[in-house]
Amino acid sequence: MSIYTLGIDIGSTASKCVMLCDGREIVAKSLIAVGAGTSGPQRAIAQVLEESGKSREDMAFSLATGYGRNSMRELADQQMSELSCHARGASFLFPDVHTVVDIGGQDVKVLQIENGVMTNFVMNDKCAAGTGRFLDVMARVLEVKVEDLGTLGAQSTKNISISSTCTVFAESEVISQLSMDTDKRDIINGIHHSVASRVAGLAHRVGVRDKVVMTGGVAQNTGVVKALEEELGHIIYTSPLTQYNGALGAALFAYQKYQKEHRD
Amino acid sequence: MSIEVMLKEFAEASAHPYRLIKEYKAQGKKVIGVLPYYAPEELVYAAGMVPMGIWGSNSKTISMAKEYCATFYCTIAQLALEMLLDGTLDDLDGLITPTICDTLRPMSQNFRVAMEGKLPCIFLAHPQQRKPAFGLQFTMDQYQHIKAELEKISGEAITDDALRNAIKVYNRSRAARREFVKLAGEHPDVISAVNRSAVLRSAWFMLKDEHTAKVEALNEELKKLPVCNWKGKKVLTSGIICDNPKLLQIFDDNQIAIVADDVAHESRPIRVDAAETGDPMMALAQQFADQDYDVLLYDEFSNQNRRADFVVKQIKDSGAQGLVLFMQQFCDPEEMEYPYLKKALDEAGIPHIKLGVDQQMRDFGQASTAIQAFADVL
Repeated sequence: MSIYTLGIDIGSTASKCVMLCDGREIVAKSLIAVGAGTSGPQRAIAQVLEESGKSREDMAFSLATGYGRNSMRELADQQMSELSCHARGASFLFPDVHTVVDIGGQDVKVLQIENGVMTNFVMNDKCAAGTGRFLDVMARVLEVKVEDLGTLGAQSTKNISISSTCTVFAESEVISQLSMDTDKRDIINGIHHSVASRVAGLAHRVGVRDKVVMTGGVAQNTGVVKALEEELGHIIYTSPLTQYNGALGAALFAYQKYQKEHRD
Repeated sequence: MSIEVMLKEFAEASAHPYRLIKEYKAQGKKVIGVLPYYAPEELVYAAGMVPMGIWGSNSKTISMAKEYCATFYCTIAQLALEMLLDGTLDDLDGLITPTICDTLRPMSQNFRVAMEGKLPCIFLAHPQQRKPAFGLQFTMDQYQHIKAELEKISGEAITDDALRNAIKVYNRSRAARREFVKLAGEHPDVISAVNRSAVLRSAWFMLKDEHTAKVEALNEELKKLPVCNWKGKKVLTSGIICDNPKLLQIFDDNQIAIVADDVAHESRPIRVDAAETGDPMMALAQQFADQDYDVLLYDEFSNQNRRADFVVKQIKDSGAQGLVLFMQQFCDPEEMEYPYLKKALDEAGIPHIKLGVDQQMRDFGQASTAIQAFADVL
């Protein structure tokens, strides 16, 4: 009989679910672009169940992670920190990973992995600089879609320096650059380097070793990935499942928990 | 009395210091506010008054104090001023303002100006060179000044006998708290992180003899308990202060025991006792000189990284698996010390996390994630 487990990652800006069969095969996944405290978690769960044709009762174990994990006590069997889940998800996708850089909506985390297990980590302080929120703010000021930042930044021809210390000050700098008719594409490239500089500073505190994997929504921004590669001096690997990485890790842990419960 | 009932009493005192001030005042006692760090509380006790520790607040928001403070002053100092301005501490009869860090030094003048004509503010400058004879003399001179100012408030002279008695009371309090810290580390199944904090925090608000009697009674009960087979994780905490019950609840929720601490609000000030014989004022000055391994105190051998080595040894001796550092926002001494502490921890292979904290924090989601992940790493 197949064992189905569900990983639910409730982030600050998105809700993601991954359903696994026997801890190996991804059966279905879902993503709703609103996170903790919204209808996102319920909708993400409903969507993943619908896509798979399964019901809640079919799930042998459900595990919630992410910023909103503690609001899922009735919907999940257990809660776990997203750092552990990201480490687990990245190790599943890239078995020889040693460093994971996860840039989410309001957090930046750098994880050190040894044999698939997280051995050390560092998180950003209470500051939006270097996070997905930083990019959201900048995209709004520049009147571009956040998903277009990567493509536009790649067309830059000139280096523009944007502050990496504070989102508010950086926003002022961007407005100042716009008022000087600086090309938006150059500003975007500067923003990507600003994020990369901030994240690299954090990464060096915990140490960077190949293979380096980037997860979280910001990993879809090729401009940030490229800028971070330059800052770190390491190739960075990403996956098409990058946004689902936390939920994937949660589903893997859910399978492990199920096995342990039934072994004990 | 059961352990549970005792812990409730500590929690009550810890949660309601302002109620205690009113109770002491109703008993006809005068109450002296004592700001951090290393104020000679014994002098207040010897004067027959109640020393009331003021370590900011976990429920107030800085508003009125902004008129006096730079934005980069730590919230402990700013919230202390806020409470003086908003009437919370109106019942105080005086205030001792130590000046051991770069925030408290200018803040002492803010307190003085803000409280002019309302509350006597007693300035205390500790010497940087506290160990040589001239440093001891400087400390003694400062303490004499505090003694004279306290005598003005109480209207009574502080005798040497009263001060010697106060030293005995405080030595006993420190010993009881040291023993409690050890016993709490041995029985995390009974003493949660939240309760541990309440026992230690309430010491700043209660008269020490009253507090000590309760701690000693609790210690006796803890000693009777069977050995605890703790299945969770064990950590040592470090920093200036970590007394927010919501933050500490995260430790309890994740089965993380605090088995020892290097916290300015908890164990740092109770490591060293004062001599109970001889000149009591010299005994207090010597006690301050004997304090060590604190980011707030000058270390002539700082190039040897002795403090960090001390913390590493504390971790090993206590059986902690890692260190949780509560980094008080805008605390220069702690921030500057951190790279040296990190270096020593990394060299010793001891994992740690640094949590940025501020007493105006109301949401601990990020801290919860970090603490839960840290438990997974240990």
